[in-house]
Amino acid sequence: MIKTLRIFWQEYKRHVIRKRFILMIVSIPALLAIVIGIALFSVFLTQDDRPVGVIDEAGYLVIQQLPGREGFSPEAQLHLVFFNDDAEAKKALDDGTIQAYYFLPADYPESGEGRLVYVKTWNTALAFQFERLLRYNMTESMPEKIATRLMDGAEFVITSLDKTRQMSEEAWGNLMIPFAAGLMIMMIIITAGNYLLQAVVEEKENRTIEIIVTSVSPNQLMAGKILGDIAVGLTQLLVWSGFLIAGFYMARGSIDWVDRVEISTEYIVLLILVVIPTFITVATLMAAVGSISTEMREAQQISGYFTIPIMAPYWFSYILMTSPNGPLAVILSFMPLTAPVTLTMRAGFTQIPTWQLAINIVELFILAFLSLWLAGKAFRMGMLNYGKRLSLTKLFSRESA
Amino acid sequence: MQPIFVDKIQKNFGKTCAVDEISFAVNNEEIFGLLGPNGAGKTTAIRIILDIFKADKGSVSILGGPMTEEKKDHVGYLPEERGLYQDMPLDRCLIYMAGLKSLSVSESKTRLTKYLDRFELAAYRSKKVKELSKGMQQKAQLIATLIHEPEVVIIDEPFSALDPVNTQMVKDLLDEERKKGRAIIMCTHQMHQVEELCDRLVLIDHGRAMLYGTLEEVRNRYATQDILVNTSARLPLKITGVERVVDMNAHKKLVLKPGITAQSVLADLVRMKVAIEHFEIALPSLEEIFIQVVTEGVAKS
Repeated sequence: MIKTLRIFWQEYKRHVIRKRFILMIVSIPALLAIVIGIALFSVFLTQDDRPVGVIDEAGYLVIQQLPGREGFSPEAQLHLVFFNDDAEAKKALDDGTIQAYYFLPADYPESGEGRLVYVKTWNTALAFQFERLLRYNMTESMPEKIATRLMDGAEFVITSLDKTRQMSEEAWGNLMIPFAAGLMIMMIIITAGNYLLQAVVEEKENRTIEIIVTSVSPNQLMAGKILGDIAVGLTQLLVWSGFLIAGFYMARGSIDWVDRVEISTEYIVLLILVVIPTFITVATLMAAVGSISTEMREAQQISGYFTIPIMAPYWFSYILMTSPNGPLAVILSFMPLTAPVTLTMRAGFTQIPTWQLAINIVELFILAFLSLWLAGKAFRMGMLNYGKRLSLTKLFSRESA
Repeated sequence: MQPIFVDKIQKNFGKTCAVDEISFAVNNEEIFGLLGPNGAGKTTAIRIILDIFKADKGSVSILGGPMTEEKKDHVGYLPEERGLYQDMPLDRCLIYMAGLKSLSVSESKTRLTKYLDRFELAAYRSKKVKELSKGMQQKAQLIATLIHEPEVVIIDEPFSALDPVNTQMVKDLLDEERKKGRAIIMCTHQMHQVEELCDRLVLIDHGRAMLYGTLEEVRNRYATQDILVNTSARLPLKITGVERVVDMNAHKKLVLKPGITAQSVLADLVRMKVAIEHFEIALPSLEEIFIQVVTEGVAKS
């Protein structure tokens, strides 16, 4: 056990305590933050802070400002300036002191018809805020319950049959969760697996493996390496999740759709049940490929045969989203290597039938154990096979090393 | 109990028989030479002994039985091609290797300091392995082989890349290990090192053991009826029982007729009052025996 732990720790250290790893793990969230930052900055730059004029002949706007929200918001805020007549407002518009003006005629309360005048472009966010302000004024004298109800309008919530999952029309941010979760998990599993692949090929190339196997059993070696690999992946997962959660909390209160994002406990449990066997499968397959390959380039080519199917469900993401319980989604869930990402996405969009989910997860665990067995055999047979690739027939034959 | 006992091991790779019923035993306090030309089956035999490969037939007993995970801690192995982590600092690499032989970190550090001093590598302990010269890497590899004080040591070409000073240092180290009671198998192509260090040997060719025994036994087996003579005087043209005289660098080799003994030739030379400075039965060198055995093997096959 101690030897397995030593291998695990060595494997973990040699990948994590490395400039390359630290740079990679920090650079991706940093890059993401920079992209978001640039997007916000460009919105900020194009944002027109000038006030909006109002000619309120009806004296309709008793309340002239919507109750504000706290904290920073990238959205433009509506500021009103009142004018007595069209000429005055027109002059201000021509002078550029206002960006547009609304005209509410005397009969506005009855007709509900007004006029908007602007020169170039008009900010829809400000239009939305103004319309909300009108509704706010209209409901101001009504009992609070009715007022709130009218202000909020109708919202339809799509609910799964067993009511365990639901999706609000306004909570469209939730649609991003399955995409983001699948992408992050896939990236981590593949990059961590690649580290293991590289480690095994290197050990084989520089003959270290020959000494190691005279000190530990192939099983101890494999276990140590796979545990190390999983720990490297988990480190990546924790750091990236940390960044995501931090970003999430920073955005909360400022961005509406972020407020509405919800992740259910069942979804997290499902992710764990999918990630564990997938991690083991990919790690062991990578170790197996490393064992039977003669050089890194060849190893990477072979590993493509199973990293591509892992990513493949993204090509069908539109079908998975629009028809998450359709034939393609079900087929991809039953295929071992496409299952992890497919399940992660489907579960975010729909209620997967329990029997399917049970079979898929059991299948993933069986695959993990099969991979362990295969990798153990490949490792024993292929580790000293310098210069020549181990054939598949030999790998599956009964011959021992 | 002999720490290493190899009994008729056989290993085939497809249709090729890499090792064909090889048997030998290695005692404590012994350096045992495992010799043979390239591709003879030495490395396969070593891998079977180390339990990296399973033999198709035959058995190997290490420290009184089959190899176990516990026994691996009592075996030191130096492969022919270097096997250290190139990107790791030397000391961390060796401490990790020692750890895999169940040595504690503190004990590894203590022993490592002594070895690094002895091998004049102390100044390089924090350098990455790939930054060291080949000779230094070879010494580092030897430290990895011996740091856990193994009872059984298997070393493949221990002198490669070493200069004469370091070669002597390694020879002294191996001699010390022998005196400590270790059973050492040494594979090398340098026959003079075998003559100098090995107590017994086995010569493998085409997977088969061609010679097995002490150095003395092997050389006597290949001894011819020749005599090496050194004299400042001219040798008589006709010496009774001598078929011909061959000029060598420092000596003259007298090739005797069948049935003639060295004593009778010596007596004849003395009778002829030839001033003899050196008189020796011409035993073949191990290198000559090696070449003879391997060449005969090739001719037969």
